[in-house]
Amino acid sequence: MNDVEAAGPGRSAAPAGGDPIPAEARAANRKLWAEWTRVHAASPGYDVEGFKAGRRSLTPIELEELGPLLHPGTSLLHLQCHFGLDTLCCARLGADVVGLDFSPEAIALARALADEVGLSARAAFVESDLYEADSHLGDKLFDVVFVNWGAIEWLPDLDRWAAIVARHLRPGGTFYMAEIHPYAQGFDELPGEKDVHIAFPYFHDALRPEVEPVDRDYADREARFDDLVAYGWNHDLAEIVNSLIGAGLRIEHLHEFPFSPCPWWDWMEEDEERWWWLPDGKGSRRRDLPITYSIRAGRPAT
Amino acid sequence: MLDDYLKANLANWDERVGVHVESDLYDVEGFKSGRSSLTRVEQDELGPLVHVGTSLLHLQCHFGLDTLSWARAGAVVTGADFSGEAIAQARALADEVGLSARATFVQSDVTSLANVLGGRFDVVFTSWGVLIWLQDLEPWADVVTHFLKPGGTFYLAEFHPNVMTLAEDSTPDRLRVGYPYFQHGEPLRFDEPGTYADPGARTRNNVTYEWVHGFAETIDPLLRRGLRLDFLHEFPFTHGLSFPFLEKCDDGLLRVKGHHDDFPLSFSLKMTKET
Repeated sequence: MNDVEAAGPGRSAAPAGGDPIPAEARAANRKLWAEWTRVHAASPGYDVEGFKAGRRSLTPIELEELGPLLHPGTSLLHLQCHFGLDTLCCARLGADVVGLDFSPEAIALARALADEVGLSARAAFVESDLYEADSHLGDKLFDVVFVNWGAIEWLPDLDRWAAIVARHLRPGGTFYMAEIHPYAQGFDELPGEKDVHIAFPYFHDALRPEVEPVDRDYADREARFDDLVAYGWNHDLAEIVNSLIGAGLRIEHLHEFPFSPCPWWDWMEEDEERWWWLPDGKGSRRRDLPITYSIRAGRPAT
Repeated sequence: MLDDYLKANLANWDERVGVHVESDLYDVEGFKSGRSSLTRVEQDELGPLVHVGTSLLHLQCHFGLDTLSWARAGAVVTGADFSGEAIAQARALADEVGLSARATFVQSDVTSLANVLGGRFDVVFTSWGVLIWLQDLEPWADVVTHFLKPGGTFYLAEFHPNVMTLAEDSTPDRLRVGYPYFQHGEPLRFDEPGTYADPGARTRNNVTYEWVHGFAETIDPLLRRGLRLDFLHEFPFTHGLSFPFLEKCDDGLLRVKGHHDDFPLSFSLKMTKET
């Protein structure tokens, strides 16, 4: 992993086309993720103690769909890795991993955690904005590039994101992502009804961020904040798929699921696999709406 | 049970062919005088791949208006539909506009098509309100793949799965989910007189059984059969749907009231069977 670290900070140059993230958005999001990292380290949602004791932090979907790609020695790049729990879970499954995140607090916690669970020989963490990844990763290629859960909503420009994914995937390598469904991004709760309606637009102005005050935490229902703001960019399915195709990747699967890895509203219900569901109002789980999806795409070998 | 569903759907479609031939929406007279029935989206996205002599198979072609529009653009076309009434109309229309030398029509439901039709095609084309009549898209994907030549193109233009979920009483202020995106088990049953092309038409066979399909359910079977996805496009407009929350805009296209730019009503995709 030393070659990655060696290419680290100080080498960064402004990427072609300028920084797509406005300065005030980056500052607000860094502050948000610093706070969230602090809370997440002790949150029920992330269950770091359980992870230290051997629990897998990846969801059953990821274990099923990503797991078979991971063997001893598989190199994996986890983009927007937060504090590295899932990155380290991939390391436990045998991979040599690099996690990249823009939050210094998250990267510090990830490195400490890697040390504590004895995985630091196979896990490196890079503090970098996503769009600056090239200046830290150099021309390093990976067998697998991995993105999951609430990552791309922090990115305004998916074409540049997909180009970074493709650039760090070896020929014949695989990209895998599991994310929140674009349709579900537009859902909001109907007050008092334990039901959703379509409250937010599906198509977006690519350059205009959604600016939302944040008073809660998705991984700790008790946490409250009073001065945090999130700058996000929603993306429709065509934009996501076409960005990957445009970067030269071949879409290998598209799957959709009616459940989430974390609760969005207090009234969602958790199952024995730690998936969160919308209730159907009749004592069962609602299976009729797309909440999350996964995509596997390959970089052609030639 | 599937046979009962198909029987009801067939009776419904057989009866609606005559209504549609007379309807303003299909505008058969306009077509006869030279108008293409294809939408701008299809013309822009598939048109450049259709040349003189291109062989094109149109699945679920109804009475062949779009099939014949591709023939007019130069293609040698085959249209297939499960309705005998539709196929009879399509053949008559081909004769009338002088395209029968380049247009063949076959009566068959999609999944049985390989039993009655031979050959492979440069383009397999299907559009607008086709998928809801199919219970299972796995055999459909077999048919698409079977009929494509190596290097051939599959093109689909359809109503967006998101709009199929909207409740009829959705308003600009409150878009509500009334129908599933994922369907489990039994089909949706509707009992509605008239048609999207003529809501006031007096009809007798009004029961239909329909199956909704999300993006993954539509695309994944084709990916698993080795087709390469070239693009997926989504649009905030469509045509030919009759939902109360839609309105017709100055350009003649339908959009969601109060959501002209931000709710998806249709999509298109192109895939390639690699050589």
